[in-house]
Amino acid sequence: MSNVHERLRRLLFLVPYVSKHPGVTVEALAKALNISREDLLEELDLLTCVGRPPFNPDDYIDIYVDNDRVYVDLDQRLFAPPRLTAGEAAALAAAAELLRPATGDALQSALTKLEGIIPPAARERFRDMYRKIDASADAPPALGPLTRAILERLEVTFGYASPGRPAEPRRVRPYELLSHRGQWYLQGFCHTRQDARLFRLDRMEDLAVTTTAFLPPPDARADVPNPARGASEASVRVRFTPTAAPYVKERFGQDARPLADGGVEVRVAGDSERWLTQWVLSFGGEAEVLEPASARAAVARAVHASIGS
Amino acid sequence: MDRTERILDLVALLLDAREPISWAELREHFPADYGGSDDAAERKFERDKAELVELGFPLSYVQGDDERRDGYLVDRNVYYLPEADLTKEELAVLYAAGSAALASGAFPGRDDLAHALRKIGFFAGESLPTPRVRMELGTGQEGQEKEVSARLEQLWDACSAHKWVQLTYGSPRKDGVTERRVDPYGLALRRGVWTLVGYCHLRQGLRTFHVHRIRELKVNTARPRTPDFEVPAGFSLDAHVAYFPWQYRFHEPLEVTLQLTGPQASRAGSLFPGAALEPVGEGVVRARFPVTFLDGLARFVLSLGSDCRMEGPPEARERLEHMAANILAKHAPVEGQRVSA
Repeated sequence: MSNVHERLRRLLFLVPYVSKHPGVTVEALAKALNISREDLLEELDLLTCVGRPPFNPDDYIDIYVDNDRVYVDLDQRLFAPPRLTAGEAAALAAAAELLRPATGDALQSALTKLEGIIPPAARERFRDMYRKIDASADAPPALGPLTRAILERLEVTFGYASPGRPAEPRRVRPYELLSHRGQWYLQGFCHTRQDARLFRLDRMEDLAVTTTAFLPPPDARADVPNPARGASEASVRVRFTPTAAPYVKERFGQDARPLADGGVEVRVAGDSERWLTQWVLSFGGEAEVLEPASARAAVARAVHASIGS
Repeated sequence: MDRTERILDLVALLLDAREPISWAELREHFPADYGGSDDAAERKFERDKAELVELGFPLSYVQGDDERRDGYLVDRNVYYLPEADLTKEELAVLYAAGSAALASGAFPGRDDLAHALRKIGFFAGESLPTPRVRMELGTGQEGQEKEVSARLEQLWDACSAHKWVQLTYGSPRKDGVTERRVDPYGLALRRGVWTLVGYCHLRQGLRTFHVHRIRELKVNTARPRTPDFEVPAGFSLDAHVAYFPWQYRFHEPLEVTLQLTGPQASRAGSLFPGAALEPVGEGVVRARFPVTFLDGLARFVLSLGSDCRMEGPPEARERLEHMAANILAKHAPVEGQRVSA
């Protein structure tokens, strides 16, 4: 998209926004438009030159900054933003698919309403563009109640299955949901462990939202799980054949050490035996745990269990 | 006059007009812009008009009659954004998903999405929820977000305008890169990875490309408003992009039967979506489904442990056992190391 196009879209939103929020601060307005303060002030300058012919004094948009707050006295009929374009509605609808099916009926009814406010002439294009993105992630059903619990700041309880052990009851303050490589995680404070923890949603059982409210810390932000990060004494050394090497290099970049035979070797954090064994098995026979011996044995045990030997 | 300023002036003029505005009047109103030769002025106005249409501005040309003159008119009822009357819950869903996609680093149509979020929030006042959903999408490895994001934006434009793209593609399966011209049909997200599906002129057929493996990308800029191709009727992204490793189209479909017990039996539906499920006893479920990449399934079955057994057909069982034997051979205890079971 051209810069002119982006700028026009922004300006056609800016005037109505100030019209609806008279006295909005320069900072808040810049944030709403996702531009810098300097760029915003430039845009406001431009808008003072905009109007309709014959360009009498009353024909110009009268927008100004007073005491770091923005006001508009004459909006020249720009009191509401333009409708959603087909592209805007399609991008929003495709993004909403990310949370399906966890969002239940609310998503479907929201999409129907969305389509209702697109100009009729743009609806066919909207449907056409909407079909061009398929972002239906495999959002687990737990996402719905967890999103609600996070927004309403309510504690949750669930059973959590640690590798090789039966599910254990947990009581957690949910802070943030994170999707990484198709896997969903909940970051929160675990009362049971008295510590911040990252939980995989697919290991939760019997999730319930309680009525116990809590105040989340302002800076709660889950760390992206990275098996190659924090590799310490407990790290596991894994060797890959030349066949698997290109894929491993693609994912691990510099962290994948090339070997003489064309294979690669990586070190990954060894704090999750279940993750490690699943990961190694996902390469079929193209990956081998070199050390420690306990991790090698875990992989062998998993294979024995699988084939019932 | 600056082009942005001129187009905004046109918007203000047309939104205020009660009567159609003729081309002659427009030239009078904007003598410096639409002056000069007739051809040059008309070309300039055509470009401005195209921009207005692109913005969704409902501009039309009305033929005059006895009561009305010829000219351009805008339908104000269509221009202004109406309230969608979204409930708190609906707004939360759209806002959480949209913000998560926007913050994810890689989502096609980011600019469109950002504008859409602003617009749906216009009537919501201060009641917009604070989304606490974050997604890491579309990148093969860390640090690629910017590149993937830029590629997705180009592909979004190309897909929506039906323009072909020229891409330099590096597949991990082969050394080097290939140059291809592709008609982009659409983009699919699977397990955090974006895939482009389109007609590849090099291979003369439909192909899929991981967006993070595209090294260079150029969109055909010739005749931007004329489509280069049509997407075949009935085309579905879902039919071409695998959700699970056993759905990669490497082989002819083979029907496989699994037996699931214990906790895996109750998860059968979500582990193997689309499979025909049949209870075969207390807490035992049989799942039957087609497989086009047996190794992909064998690896997954191995990772599920003793609660998932491959029943048949024999070649699938043999493949799994062969793979298991291979892994066991690789993980035999090393002499001198003591391992507790």
